Amino acid sequence: MKIRSRFVVGAVVMAAAIGYLIFSAIRTTSQYYLTVDEAEARLASIDGQPVRIAGRVKPGGIRWDPATLTLSFAISEIPAAVKNGIQPAVAADAPSFSVICVGRPKPDMFAPGRDVIVEGRIGGDRVIRATQVLTSCPSKYQPKQEQ
Amino acid sequence: MPQLGQLTLAIALILALYSIAANIFGARRGAADVLESARHALWAMCAMVTIAIASMWMALVRSDFSIQYVAEHSSTTLWTIYKFTALWGGQEGSLLLWAWVLSLFISIAAFQNRARNPEIAPYALAVMAGVSVFFLLMLNFVTRPFVVLANVPAEGGDLNPLLQNYWMAIHPPSLYLGYVSATIPFGFAAAALITRRLDDSWIRTTRRWALFSWFFLTLGNLFGGRWAYEVLGWGGYWAWDPVENAAFMPWLVMTAYLHSVMIQERKDMLKVWNLALIGLAFGLTLFGTFITRSGVISSVHSFTQSGLGPYFLAFLLAVVAGYTALLIWRAGDLRSSAEIESYLSREAAFLFNNLVLVGIAFAIFWGTIFPIISEAVRGVKITVGPPFFNSVNAPLALGLIFLMGVGPLIAWRRTTPLNLVRSFAVPAAAGVATGLIALGFGITQWYVLVGVSLSVFAVATVGVEFRNGVVARHHLAGERAPKALVNLVAKNNRRYGGYIIHIGVVMAFIGILGSSFFKIDVKRSVRPGESFSAGPYQFRFEGAFPFDTAHVEGVSAMLTVLRDGRQVAVMEPQRLLYKRQQQPATEVAIRSTMMHDLYVVLAGMDDESRMVTFEVFVTPLVFWLWAGGFVMALGTVVVMWPNLRERAAIAVAIRSRENADLHGEPAPGGD
Repeated sequence: MKIRSRFVVGAVVMAAAIGYLIFSAIRTTSQYYLTVDEAEARLASIDGQPVRIAGRVKPGGIRWDPATLTLSFAISEIPAAVKNGIQPAVAADAPSFSVICVGRPKPDMFAPGRDVIVEGRIGGDRVIRATQVLTSCPSKYQPKQEQ
Repeated sequence: MPQLGQLTLAIALILALYSIAANIFGARRGAADVLESARHALWAMCAMVTIAIASMWMALVRSDFSIQYVAEHSSTTLWTIYKFTALWGGQEGSLLLWAWVLSLFISIAAFQNRARNPEIAPYALAVMAGVSVFFLLMLNFVTRPFVVLANVPAEGGDLNPLLQNYWMAIHPPSLYLGYVSATIPFGFAAAALITRRLDDSWIRTTRRWALFSWFFLTLGNLFGGRWAYEVLGWGGYWAWDPVENAAFMPWLVMTAYLHSVMIQERKDMLKVWNLALIGLAFGLTLFGTFITRSGVISSVHSFTQSGLGPYFLAFLLAVVAGYTALLIWRAGDLRSSAEIESYLSREAAFLFNNLVLVGIAFAIFWGTIFPIISEAVRGVKITVGPPFFNSVNAPLALGLIFLMGVGPLIAWRRTTPLNLVRSFAVPAAAGVATGLIALGFGITQWYVLVGVSLSVFAVATVGVEFRNGVVARHHLAGERAPKALVNLVAKNNRRYGGYIIHIGVVMAFIGILGSSFFKIDVKRSVRPGESFSAGPYQFRFEGAFPFDTAHVEGVSAMLTVLRDGRQVAVMEPQRLLYKRQQQPATEVAIRSTMMHDLYVVLAGMDDESRMVTFEVFVTPLVFWLWAGGFVMALGTVVVMWPNLRERAAIAVAIRSRENADLHGEPAPGGD
């Protein structure tokens, strides 16, 4: 009986250690995962925090300098899913954020109108200094219409 | 052809349902003829699904675009081998493959147990048939693979370019084989609970199935990593993406299971734990499919998302609830007779190894579902990325390597501290010495120093085991060393095969250490004729050359690689455009040696400035990750190799159990 309880103690100590590892790692490594609208609503609380923000690349204002590997663009909220074939129009004054990503090649699928996830820190100047820009691939490939 | 495929899937569903009923009815009545008919139904089910999958393969190879699946996942210009592998390029085909492999494995299990395990086999087959009913229901009603198009397109949509790679041709089927074969031990475990046959016969019967599953989960994860490394062009092989985690968690739990069953076979302990682990492993295979297909957790991998998720979740919950209820129902029969006697015993080492493995699996599970939990609880989605998984798992990995070194040399039951010192003096000294040498070479990261020391310690204990075995054979049988070594492994293949796997794990760990801590990453934009350097290498960009084929067009860049002014290689990374999808892709140039990999990505071309952007990685020791994986696979083959002595032992065990049954006595415990 004593032996068994000794092993229960060992197992509990071990489980507690693993639990603590998980807890402390979550505290130090977690990031908010927000859409542009959600980020707009919480701007004060996420200032300077590591974030991932999902948005759509706005057409116009995209600059890519290959010599310094600097990509800058703006993102706005991804419109809700297409209903009845009608894409809801994006309001001209919808919130948007500027993104600057330095030191990384331009992602393969990067293009205006593409949905991206931007990882980095957001400043009070509404600029996201991105460490990474991930393009999400279209999940299904439709054959191109034959002309 | 499409009608035939859909019809055979419907018949297979009916046969599976019939087999469940016949197995249960036959087992309750002891009706051998009914049980035989139940087995025949399973074989017929397998034949039906085989016809279905064969007709899908024929449609793919013949580019029959009247079937929607073929039209969406293949094209006439696709290389023939990829027309074949397009079967698992999409959801319906993947499920069809799953159902087929499952029906094949159930048929084999039914054949193996036609005269064996008369009490539990019918219930085990009924449980497995129940699993295939789920997949066949999906194929008949939710994701029908043989949907016919009214307007037949002239050309298909083509296979996702990312999947047009040889690792991708073998990665998904490996994982599916690993996932699906976990169903067999699970079925037997559930049957053991139902029939109260709770000795270790269900474990012995399904030992090879569990090993088979582990073998393919190992290869599946390895191939997946290799695919990511070669195709995705980010220089890494593992990103802790939910989809990767989904494949890794069953592997961890299955590893724990393969260790803990040894304790049950030997000491009749940990019965509940083993039953729980196999249930968990099976549940995680369903969970993996659920998260990859449901889109509940955002993943970089793009899978077709569909309405399949809720069905998988419902099935998963039903399996977990049903199995847990079985465990609780039989809790009274699962009390163990023996106990672990000392912390200084192999049992204790195995127990802690199990806790660490399940702990790692739990940490990964928690990190994977954390966004959902945080959104439900706090109303905001919080994600954890690779830093979370790395910081949790890095110390746990050290613990595992340490236990791996301790396990082989520590005695069963108990050992004295003095014996412990005697056994471990040499391996421990070797480990510490290696750490000091590494320190002398200027390595200062504590994790690397400890990791290297423990790795050498673990390999050294295995080395001591091999040496002791060879010396003993030399003295007893007078065999020379090479012959003694071969005989040693052949006669004790379970044990020494396991040691070979351990060496593979250490090799892979060294590869992970090197590639995680010492990777050099350089990004540079240059014009033709310009040079840049990465680590000890200089790269001179010679020029870019366009090319064009029926399927793809692209640009190939040529770089001369120099070290100390001497040319060591010419590398040609490419950028491709897959014409049908208009999707760009990158073809990485890799030069691999045992010391390090050179990895060059043609990351971009700017038409205005005529600058070409390259990303170069110099990744030390990554070769050892792949080599270690294959050593693990090799070791598993050694473990699985048929062993006449073991067969004889099983036959004796079965006979003695039957005798005990006749005399109403409990069967004697293992050895």
